Amino acid sequence: MKHVFRYHDKHYVYDVGSGSLHECDEATAKLLKGEPDGLTEEERQKTLSDLAALRAEGLLDAPETSARPIKSDKVKALCLHVSHDCNLRCKYCFADEGAYHAQREVMSWETAKAAIDFLIRKSGNRKVLEVDFFGGEPLMNFDVVKKAVYYGKEEARKAGKRILFTTTTNGLLLDDETIAFLNEEMENVVLSIDGRKEVHDAVRKTVNGKGSFDAVIEKIKKFVAVRGDKHYYVRGTFTAKNLDFAEDVLFLADSGFDSISLEPVVTEIPELQIKEEHLPAIEAEYERLCDAFLERERAGKPFSFFHFHIDLEGGPCLEKRVSACGAGNEYFSVVPSGDIYPCHQFAGEKEFLMGNVFAGEIDPALRKKFAESCLFTRETCKDCFAKFICSGGCSANNYHFTGDINEPYPITCAMMRKRAECAMHVLADRKSREN
Amino acid sequence: MIKTIAKPSERKTTGCGECRSTCQSACKTSCTVGNQSCERVTKEQKIERK
Repeated sequence: MKHVFRYHDKHYVYDVGSGSLHECDEATAKLLKGEPDGLTEEERQKTLSDLAALRAEGLLDAPETSARPIKSDKVKALCLHVSHDCNLRCKYCFADEGAYHAQREVMSWETAKAAIDFLIRKSGNRKVLEVDFFGGEPLMNFDVVKKAVYYGKEEARKAGKRILFTTTTNGLLLDDETIAFLNEEMENVVLSIDGRKEVHDAVRKTVNGKGSFDAVIEKIKKFVAVRGDKHYYVRGTFTAKNLDFAEDVLFLADSGFDSISLEPVVTEIPELQIKEEHLPAIEAEYERLCDAFLERERAGKPFSFFHFHIDLEGGPCLEKRVSACGAGNEYFSVVPSGDIYPCHQFAGEKEFLMGNVFAGEIDPALRKKFAESCLFTRETCKDCFAKFICSGGCSANNYHFTGDINEPYPITCAMMRKRAECAMHVLADRKSREN
Repeated sequence: MIKTIAKPSERKTTGCGECRSTCQSACKTSCTVGNQSCERVTKEQKIERK
């Protein structure tokens, strides 16, 4: 299968089987699509010969992979919900403004410790493990975060392993102490901010109903200023209310952040939800963002936008690309009670309860269901050019929108495909500047 | 005219599962495998640069 697409005046061919990307002229694109191409017989023969050469190299119309999903029975990552409470009341929060449709509570040290023990015990021969602190707002339970990090490091060391820690925070509780700790101990820090003040404040409210932008922007800037070359992301959400979201990404870049991610909202709130009728505007906006992104890169003011990063040369291997995200099999969420769920987006949904860290076992039937879920169980993806890029999408998104972890949500897919095209154009643009 | 922009590099090892968990990358809602890096390739590049 191949995907022939246009980006402004550029024409590209993405060969799904080989994972290679080619740039071509309009006539070649038309020829590949079986459209009238306007080529002379001599030109056509030359083009066909070029295409045949690519086929011979295995870079066009290549057979699709026979790679099989990575089947591991080891646990490699845990999302620790150290706080099912939050100091913000963001309208679109999938986690019920931090409470996850239950009582507001924080994780005890005993539970965090049991979760770390569970991870190390269930990780088999894996050397590098991952723990992310999530909420609600994890810094509302900072003492447990600290203890879990120090304990986890020590226990991992004893077991000949290493744990990479991540924290996702809204930034409200960043101060000298938390900044120093996160900077020292976290492999990655994800800082939530939606972009322009009016956009952020419209949805990210304090408990008192006020916008939180002014309370977080300087704290996040302060954190990033001392972060050095360690990983972080400022991570925002766009909704149906800001379909001009490129402005928000550029605002974040102008604010001094060079590692940015902006995600479409996952909500059923009618005025915020992304609907099919929004797609043309969103696709155009991704192009506008892509143009501005490249313009800044060319001007020597680059920033990183998560979704425009697709490494076709050194990215994930095909086995990983067909394996889906690993939720419910090698990645799990642990809530304050110690209950285990496939991932943070399933937390609190009793039909997805997989066990408890104190009992230490994972429901084998549910785990099997998630372990078997992969690109090949997602029938809808069969004819999609982006399948080896998105691996069939997010199981939780799939389930919440379609009722089936193996059935992708078409609106998410459409945005994904557009971002993939933009990312491929970024690759081509960079390559043209190298030459 | 058609020219190749990118093609997957040859791999010494595939399917090792050393890659980071997808949900750990950045967004927690729509992270995709394709936006990730291969830990082995990254490690090898680091060694080559030294």
